[in-house]
Amino acid sequence: MDDLEFRRRVFANPNTTDKEVAVIAARNPDKAQLKNSLQQFDDDLMKALKVQVPDNLAHKLIWEQKSEELKRHKRRTPWYIGLAASIALTIGVTGTVVMHRANVNIGEEALAHMRYSETEQSHSAVAVNMDLINAKLAGFGGTLVSSIGNVRVANYCHLNTTQSLHLILDTDQGPMSVFIMPQKRDQNVPDAFADNQYHGESWALQKASIMVVGEKGADLAPLMQKVKRSITFSA
Amino acid sequence: MKEKQQRYETLVHAFHGDIYRYAYWLTRDPTIAEDVVQETFLRAWRSLDALKDEKSAKSWLITIVRRENARRFERKQLDLVDIDDVSVSDDAFHAAPQDESDELRVLIARLPMDYREPLLLQLLFGYSGEEIAEQLSLNKNTVMTRLFRARNQLKDMLAQESSQQRGRQNG
Repeated sequence: MDDLEFRRRVFANPNTTDKEVAVIAARNPDKAQLKNSLQQFDDDLMKALKVQVPDNLAHKLIWEQKSEELKRHKRRTPWYIGLAASIALTIGVTGTVVMHRANVNIGEEALAHMRYSETEQSHSAVAVNMDLINAKLAGFGGTLVSSIGNVRVANYCHLNTTQSLHLILDTDQGPMSVFIMPQKRDQNVPDAFADNQYHGESWALQKASIMVVGEKGADLAPLMQKVKRSITFSA
Repeated sequence: MKEKQQRYETLVHAFHGDIYRYAYWLTRDPTIAEDVVQETFLRAWRSLDALKDEKSAKSWLITIVRRENARRFERKQLDLVDIDDVSVSDDAFHAAPQDESDELRVLIARLPMDYREPLLLQLLFGYSGEEIAEQLSLNKNTVMTRLFRARNQLKDMLAQESSQQRGRQNG
């Protein structure tokens, strides 16, 4: 190997394990010196290349993907055009996309939320208990005076543009959801609604509308009874 | 669905730093780099099912980030300029260098893309000559020549800079 070839090889890769290069470097201190200096140069280059990565980039990338997923879901199921977005985004990423669409059937939106409810996680690290539910219900002027069952998640969400409380329960009829939303004048809450996976029923109180949604074939009556018995609204 | 989500998040946590740095050195602009990285990971999410083996995740992501960077120029085709002919606009490369790393960063940014990219793969990702050749669809000899020229040019530029500096100090 001539001088030029030695140079070419160590410049191309100062950490080369090439045997010929090693033999020459071992015999010739000048060449060993050149190789060492290039290794040192590589260390400096590495330091220079490692520019600072923006804070929270990983969270941003996960957030972007979740928003994209939500948009895709809306395109795939055009009958949920009004699907509002308060899908539980990653823990640590908070925020709500508010859709400004009027006259959307809230029942359908509730069904859309159901599809996510299986994967939905609580926004809060605190276990869901009566105190937590009541703290969240207080915003609507409501209180639960007795338990309505095993509530796994209690999250605020938006149905159309109305902030609602979404409770996800495990019942002997499978997972069910209760949506509590303040009464609004122009709101279209159907008494009953269904798609091929879920069905739901609603009733209106003076201050709020309540929807109970369960899987196709599940009996909603027991949970509806419990909710009706337990929930009260201040005058 | 949950499993796919987990795979994606693992990918993000494992590679976002190196992919960002790669994009940074392709674009030489932190803001554009961040956009390119966001597009890269969105594409990765959309085609995550195509990634069969996690071991090839790195080269898969590099392929996507390179394509996303190329897309930028397709969009800007009307400008009809080669980015390497245009001086770098980022202030980071104009500000007076604070230390040796800053100085090197200015010089790395000046390297032509053909030399810069193999060097990035070698140093940031620890790729061998063969791996770089495969990633860039070049033959290995070409890659080794470009790596040689990359370091050679950097050394030349460094020597030039320091002689200029000496000149300024003496003058």
